[in-house]
Amino acid sequence: MHIPDAFIPIWQGAIYWIIALVFIALALRWARNEMNEEKLPLVAVLAAGIFALQSFNLPVSMGTSGHLVGGALAAIILGSPFAAIFILTLVLIIQGVLFGDGGITVMGANIINMGVIGGFTGYYTFKGLMGLTKNMPVSVFFAAWLACLIPSLACAVEMAIAGTFPLTEGLIAMGIYHAIIGFIEGFVTIAAIYIITAARPDLVDTGVRAPAGASSS
Amino acid sequence: MMDNKTFIIAGLVVALLIGVVAVFMASGDPDGLESTALVVQGQKELTGATPEDAEIHEDLTGKYSYESPMPDYSLGESLGSAGGIIAIVVGTILAFAVVLGISYGLKAAGKPAK
Repeated sequence: MHIPDAFIPIWQGAIYWIIALVFIALALRWARNEMNEEKLPLVAVLAAGIFALQSFNLPVSMGTSGHLVGGALAAIILGSPFAAIFILTLVLIIQGVLFGDGGITVMGANIINMGVIGGFTGYYTFKGLMGLTKNMPVSVFFAAWLACLIPSLACAVEMAIAGTFPLTEGLIAMGIYHAIIGFIEGFVTIAAIYIITAARPDLVDTGVRAPAGASSS
Repeated sequence: MMDNKTFIIAGLVVALLIGVVAVFMASGDPDGLESTALVVQGQKELTGATPEDAEIHEDLTGKYSYESPMPDYSLGESLGSAGGIIAIVVGTILAFAVVLGISYGLKAAGKPAK
């Protein structure tokens, strides 16, 4: 759901940029306060992994493809929505500047959708469901699914404000496609969290340090 | 438990593998947003396949346009998959390096304040 420059007028893009900058500043503060020798490698590896995952467009039928966003993954594993904003912002800058994936004037909107909305949706859905169900995979799945779906709906609203898509049609199409993409995102996020937790249980900050069956060392 | 160095190497290897596989396996269909654009422009049915000749009409008046050095994660037709792999490898390593660099920078800048 990387919005290209052609889809949003420059002045609207500027507004999204201003909003995004507020969250970027908060994300940088998070990074300064939370980052330590131990977490640094995980954050950087997650950025590399999220960049690679986003380049992998998976077929989702209906003549459409989609890739993972990774906002929920970053937020859940690092225990903060600002982790998602921090990583996604830098990944989106590289994608936009180097590969033309997502525009420059609209980058603020892309950061808001995938980083801010994705990060907050993923993190708080996970926390809420984890408290209710105590079930890690189920909580992660819905968190990742929503963190893919909700940003796509926000994107549809932005497209409607820009006059690029009619609101209802945009919401329906974006919603259907990303509900399917989110399904894949859900499963991959569960797998990624298990793998990373198995490799470095000390780095994962999900509140479920030991997944079922594994003993904490 | 893996030490930091092993974790970084393993993580980067996994990321690069995903990226390289993506060059060959990724779907060429438009993504969700592009697909929606085709639907609202009447070039594609909501649940139907994307026609070969479908193309998104872009109204560029009053919009910014930017030429990236490696558009669409490719170095041009002539280099084909090799160019795609180079683009993905550069991007993946850069994502790692930029995040690591900025994190180090912030940490260093944050120290004296404490």
